[in-house]
Amino acid sequence: MQPKSKFSTYWQPLVLLILVVLPFVVTSSYLTHIMTLILLWSFVATAWAYMARFGMVSLGHGVFLGIGAYIPTMMFNYWGLTPWIGVFIGLAVAMAVAAILGYSCFRFGLLGDYFALVTLAVAEVSALTIMALRAITGGGLGYTLRSTGRLADMQFADKRSFYFIALILLLGAVYIWRRIDRSPMRLALTAIEESEIAAASLGVSVIRYKMMITLLSAALTALGGALYAQYVTYISPDTIAGVGVSLSICFKAILGGMFTVLGPFVGSAIIVLLEEYIRISLGTSFLGLSQIIFGISLLLMIIFMPKGIMGSMTEAIAKRLNKVSVRQ
Amino acid sequence: MFEQIIMAFLNGILLGGVLALLAFGLNLIFGVVKIIHLAYGQFVMLGFYFIYFFHTSWHIPLIPAMAMGVVAMGLIGILTQLLIINPLLNAPRLNQLLALASLIIVMENLAQVIWGADYRGIPITMPIIQFGDIFIRSSFLAAFIGAIFTLGLLYLFLNRTYLGLGIRAVAQDLDMAKGVGINPKVIYYVTLAAGGALTGLVAAFFVPIYTVHPHFGASFTLMAFVIVVFGGMGNLLGGFISAFIIGIVTSVTAVLSSPEVADILAMAMFIGMMMIRPQGLLGTES
Amino acid sequence: MLKVQGIDVFYGEFQALDNVTLKLDKGQTVIVVGPNGAGKSTLLRTISGLQKPRRGSIEFEGQRIDRMEAHKVVESGVSSVPEGGRVFPNLSVQDNLKVGSYNKAAREKAEEWLPRIFELFPILATRKKQRAGSLSGGERQMLAIGRSLMSQPKLIMLDEPSLGLAPMVVNMVFEFILKMKQEGYTILLVEQNANKALKVADYAYLIESGKLVYEGRSEDFDKNPYIKTAYLGI
Repeated sequence: MQPKSKFSTYWQPLVLLILVVLPFVVTSSYLTHIMTLILLWSFVATAWAYMARFGMVSLGHGVFLGIGAYIPTMMFNYWGLTPWIGVFIGLAVAMAVAAILGYSCFRFGLLGDYFALVTLAVAEVSALTIMALRAITGGGLGYTLRSTGRLADMQFADKRSFYFIALILLLGAVYIWRRIDRSPMRLALTAIEESEIAAASLGVSVIRYKMMITLLSAALTALGGALYAQYVTYISPDTIAGVGVSLSICFKAILGGMFTVLGPFVGSAIIVLLEEYIRISLGTSFLGLSQIIFGISLLLMIIFMPKGIMGSMTEAIAKRLNKVSVRQ
Repeated sequence: MFEQIIMAFLNGILLGGVLALLAFGLNLIFGVVKIIHLAYGQFVMLGFYFIYFFHTSWHIPLIPAMAMGVVAMGLIGILTQLLIINPLLNAPRLNQLLALASLIIVMENLAQVIWGADYRGIPITMPIIQFGDIFIRSSFLAAFIGAIFTLGLLYLFLNRTYLGLGIRAVAQDLDMAKGVGINPKVIYYVTLAAGGALTGLVAAFFVPIYTVHPHFGASFTLMAFVIVVFGGMGNLLGGFISAFIIGIVTSVTAVLSSPEVADILAMAMFIGMMMIRPQGLLGTES
Repeated sequence: MLKVQGIDVFYGEFQALDNVTLKLDKGQTVIVVGPNGAGKSTLLRTISGLQKPRRGSIEFEGQRIDRMEAHKVVESGVSSVPEGGRVFPNLSVQDNLKVGSYNKAAREKAEEWLPRIFELFPILATRKKQRAGSLSGGERQMLAIGRSLMSQPKLIMLDEPSLGLAPMVVNMVFEFILKMKQEGYTILLVEQNANKALKVADYAYLIESGKLVYEGRSEDFDKNPYIKTAYLGI
C-alpha cells in the first residue's frame, strides 16, 4: 500500500468543491450538460468496475443499462406510472436478470474469457430482444419519453437538477467502493479471484460473494440507465443496450484505470470530452471520421497506457516515493 | 411447408460450409496466437469492399478482383499482427479484447466514410437449380464447394508441410516450439495472413449472395464466435462440426419463425453450452 | 564449447541464479546436481534462450548466445530435452520427430535420420502414427530425446530425464545417455538422482539456492563427505 501523500488528501475535497459549485458558477448550459453526462457515465463505469476489479469482466453491462432505461420509461409512457416508482421496478428486474445469469455462470464455474464472451452474447440478445419487440419498444428507431414537465414524473424544469442527482449518485458509488475496500468482502473477492478452490476451502462462500457484487453492480448500472432515460429522454438499442455501449463502459473504466476509485471518473471524462470535441470539430459532414479518430485514440491508449491513466499515474507517483525511501 | 424446411436445411448446410471457413480462421488465430479476434466479421466486410472497389472503380474483371481481395486481406492480417497484436502479446487479456473491439469501431467507420452507409453490391445473377419443388441457388452451392475445397487444402497444408507443422507446434506448446528452432514471430505472421486471406475468400463467396454495408460484419462476428466457442475454442474439427449445426439450426428456425428469433436461439444455444460444457463440443479442459 | 560466465537470473524480484559460472568442452558429459528448486532448470532455460540473464554472458563455440532468441540458439546447435517427457501431445509420434528437424540445417538430414531414430527406439516405431500424448512416461522421454537428436545438435541438454520414471526405465535412459556420449555428443545433464548421473559424467557441478557450491571431476565428487551424505545417501 502506498502511503497516502499530502497531495491526495488535499486535492480530493478540492475537486469535490469544484464539482458542487460548478453549475452555479458556469453560465453555459452546454458545459453543464457535458458535465452531467460525464458524471452519469462515471457512475455507470464505477458500478461496472465493482465487478471488473475482481476479475469478473462483463462485456455486456448494456443489458442492465437497457433494462433500467426502457422499463420505467415504457411504464410511464403506457401506464402513466411515475418513474419515481418505475425506477425501482427497473432495478428489481435488472437485479433479477443479474441473479439468474450470475448464478448460472458462477454455479457452473464460468471464468475469465468464457464469462466475458457469455456477457457479450447477453448484450447482443438484449439489443436483439428490443428490436424483436419493436411494437412496444420502437425497435431500432428508438423510444422517446413522454414529456410532462412535472416533478411528480421525475421531470425537472431546471436541467441542473440532473447534474446534482448524477453527482450524488457518483459520490454514492465512490463511497460504496471505499466501504467495500474496508470490508471483508474485498478480501473474500480478492481471494476468490486468485483461486476459487483455495477460497472455498477456507470457508469463503464463493457464489454468495460473487452474487452480491454482481447484483450491486447491476442495480447501480440500471439506475444509471434510468437516469439517462429521464435526462436525455431518447433511448435506442444502440445508445443504451447492446454491444457498443457495453464496450464503451469498459473503455471508460479502463482508460482511467479500473483499479483506482477515481479511474472511471477520469476515463469517462476523457472519453466524453474526446467524443464531443471530435464531433464538434468535424461535424456531421464527416460522420464516421470522428469515430475513426476515436477508435484509433483508444487503440493508442490501450497499447501505450495499459494501466489506464490513473493507474499509470499512481504507478509513477509510487515509483517516485519508492526512490525517495530507498535513498534514505 | 415441408419443402421450405428441406430448402432451409440444405441452405443451412451450404452456408455452414462458408461459416466453417470463418470458424477455421478464428480457431487458427486463437489456437496459435492465443488472441480472440473480435473484429473478424469486420474483416469479411472489408474484403467485400475491397473486391467491390477493385471491380467497380478499377474495372478489374470479377475473378481477378476476388483474388486481389484475398491477397489484400492477407496483407491486412499481417498489418494487424504488426501494429496491434505484437505490442499486446503480453498484455492482459482484457486489453487485447478491447484493442480488437476498437478495431471494430475503426473499420466500420472507415467503411462508412469511404463508401457511405448505403448498401453496395456487385449484381451477379447465377442460375437456380431445381429439384422438383426444391430450389437451390447455385451461388450457395458454389460457395459450399469452394469452402470445402479450401478446407481440404488447409488440412493438407497443416499436416503435410513443415510450416503447417510449425503452426501446430506453436499452438500446442510455445516454449517447446521455440526449443526445436521454430521462430514464433514468423508463425504468427503466417497465421494472421492466412486468417486474413480466409476472410477475403469468404467475402468472395458472399459477393453473389449479399450486398455489403458498414455494419455487415457485426452479425458475422458474433455468429463466428458462437460457432467457434460452441465447437471448442482452438479446436479446428469442433469448429467445422459446429458451423454446420448452427448453420442448419439458424436457417431452419429463420424459416419457421423469424431471423431475429433464429439469432436469439443461436445465442441461447451458445449460452447453454457454456453452462453445461464450457470447453465446447470437442474442446479439452485446459 | 559452452562458457557460462557469472550469470544472474531473476524471475521478477526473485533471484533464481546468482553468479553461476560453468563450462563444457567438446565431447564432455557434464552434470549439474542439486536439490529441488536450486535453479537447475532455470540454468538450462537460460542457456537455451527462454530466459535472459540480467548479468553475465553465455558463449557457445565462441558466439554470444545469451542475447539470442530461443530459436536462433537451437540453430547454433544447442538442443534441449525439457523435463517430464514433454512432447507435443496432439502431434503423432512421427510428427514429433519431424518437428525436431524444423531448423534448416536439420531438415536436409531429416529423411536420413528418421529411420535411425526408429532403430534406436523400436518402441516408437510401432507407435508411429499414435498421438504422442497417449504414450507412457518412459516412451515420451524416449520421444523427447529422439526429437532432440533430430535437430542435429552439437550440445544436448537434458533436464531431469529420470524424473517420474520406473527404475528399469531409468536404467534404459542412462544407458542411452552413455551411448550418446560414446557417439561423441556433448551433453549437459541436470539431475536430482546424483548417483546414476555421476556414473556417466566427466565433470560435475553442485548448485544450491541458485549458487554454485561445488565443482569437480565426478570421481572427486564421490569423495567429498558433505556431498556424500547430502546427495548420495551414503
